[in-house]
Amino acid sequence: MNMKRSKKALVLDIILLVLSAGLTTGVKTVFSACEKKPDGMWMSCHWAEQAVFALGIALTAMAVVNIVLGKTDIKRGIAIAMVPTALITAFVPNVFINLCMMKDMHCHEMMRPAVIVISALIAAAACVYAIIVREKD
Amino acid sequence: MNGFKNLTVKSLLGKPVRTIVLVLLTALLTLTVLDGSLTQTSLEKGIDSLEARLGADVMVVPYSATTKQKFEDMVLQGSTGYFYMGKNYVEEISQIEGVGEVSAQFFLASASSSCCSLPVQIIGYEPETDFTISPWVKKSYGKKLDTYDVVVGNDLNAFVGDSLYFYGVKVNVAAKLEKTGTSYDTTVFTNSDTIKELIRSSLELKMNDFVDVDPDNVVSCVLINVADGYNPEEVTNNINLHVKKVKAIQTKEMISGVADSLSGVSSVIGILIGAVWVLGAVIMLLAFTMSVNERKKEFAVLRVLGASRGKLASLVMKEALLTGIVGSAAGTLIALVVMVGFGGLIEDLLGLPFLLPSAGAVAGYAAAAIVLTIVTGAAAAAVSAFRISRIDTGVILRGDN
Repeated sequence: MNMKRSKKALVLDIILLVLSAGLTTGVKTVFSACEKKPDGMWMSCHWAEQAVFALGIALTAMAVVNIVLGKTDIKRGIAIAMVPTALITAFVPNVFINLCMMKDMHCHEMMRPAVIVISALIAAAACVYAIIVREKD
Repeated sequence: MNGFKNLTVKSLLGKPVRTIVLVLLTALLTLTVLDGSLTQTSLEKGIDSLEARLGADVMVVPYSATTKQKFEDMVLQGSTGYFYMGKNYVEEISQIEGVGEVSAQFFLASASSSCCSLPVQIIGYEPETDFTISPWVKKSYGKKLDTYDVVVGNDLNAFVGDSLYFYGVKVNVAAKLEKTGTSYDTTVFTNSDTIKELIRSSLELKMNDFVDVDPDNVVSCVLINVADGYNPEEVTNNINLHVKKVKAIQTKEMISGVADSLSGVSSVIGILIGAVWVLGAVIMLLAFTMSVNERKKEFAVLRVLGASRGKLASLVMKEALLTGIVGSAAGTLIALVVMVGFGGLIEDLLGLPFLLPSAGAVAGYAAAAIVLTIVTGAAAAAVSAFRISRIDTGVILRGDN
């Protein structure tokens, strides 16, 4: 059923898109992993960065589809799918993929906390979306 | 007066911009007070931890090592590096008047640790004589370290049972140290037998800057506790006078620069907290005054409808308390995410020893910051509440005021 988008649904749509796009671009810029080693080899945190980037693209795509689509049920379904995706993203650095040896390195100090915080916010916003956006909205 | 039951919430929701501004202001106050006080405490704990970590009165190193800028960074900041001097100096130094406990240490920097990243500092100590590292290791590992066993600092991404490779030698992680907030957190510790093997291996692989070193006959530094009745300055001077090609340094002198920087940073944070707190209190006072002035007619109507003077005052106070609770809760959440999540980055930016207090202490600071913010908001609102309780309904409704 096509429904007119409510104000709170629109706000949550925008929040989800901004956070997902922020995660995707941020992990390659502001809170990226460590640089290459002097011998030109990547450290393992680089692969965590790549995985977060890929999941970030998926989250952004879901957020875009959510904005474009009008059907509330499908939008809620996408929001529900975003919750585990965002939680998996939060666990990528140092749980699924090891980061560097020392915790005073950029990947530990910047990438990991930033990815956790943004992913948690995406999961929370998606949860709220799934709960409060109903057909009557 | 059931009609007044939800008036506080309705009143706050009815003016969303004013409410959001008040909530943001209280959140900012809590954030500043909590993160500022946690940073101050963490720096103080860090310097205490650094003092305890040095653990000796005097440190004796090869004279050539002290001419390098890297030396103090190595000891205080955890930069990697190594230097050696003859083992005979240990005996010579222990004969100097005033020298009490003596223990040698061995330094080595790994070329690259097994997993991927930058070199780590490896420190070898003699468990029989050591009095600086053993107390820290004992907190995490009660047993004696076997050969090829290592203890890793808390900031190293290695865990008990892991194997690490240094210069092709496999070592086992026997324990992980508690967080110290100092360079110990990124250091690997082992006994003298193991580090001699590692030095030997680094020489064989031609990856050691010192090509003609015999691992069995060298040490990197000698740590000294002075004997009773002597002071460290006297002993330091005695060693510098009588032992050639080495330099004795009082450990307290080494950290005096760090302590000065810490004092400066701590003062700036204190001033910042005070300034933001005063500014926030004044803005809240103005916000509540303006808000009450705007709503004089609304309050006058409420009086006509039967609300007592006390009811009006309590309405203003409840609004202040509600915005205070919501704002301080949000501010605390953000402050804890910043401090706990990005503590490592803050430590790096400050470049000073930094040790967050325990979870219980952090919770105590958070509770104090929330209470302080709510009380500040309530005090600012109390002035307006008092004024509104004394309004002359007739004058207001006639439009004379």
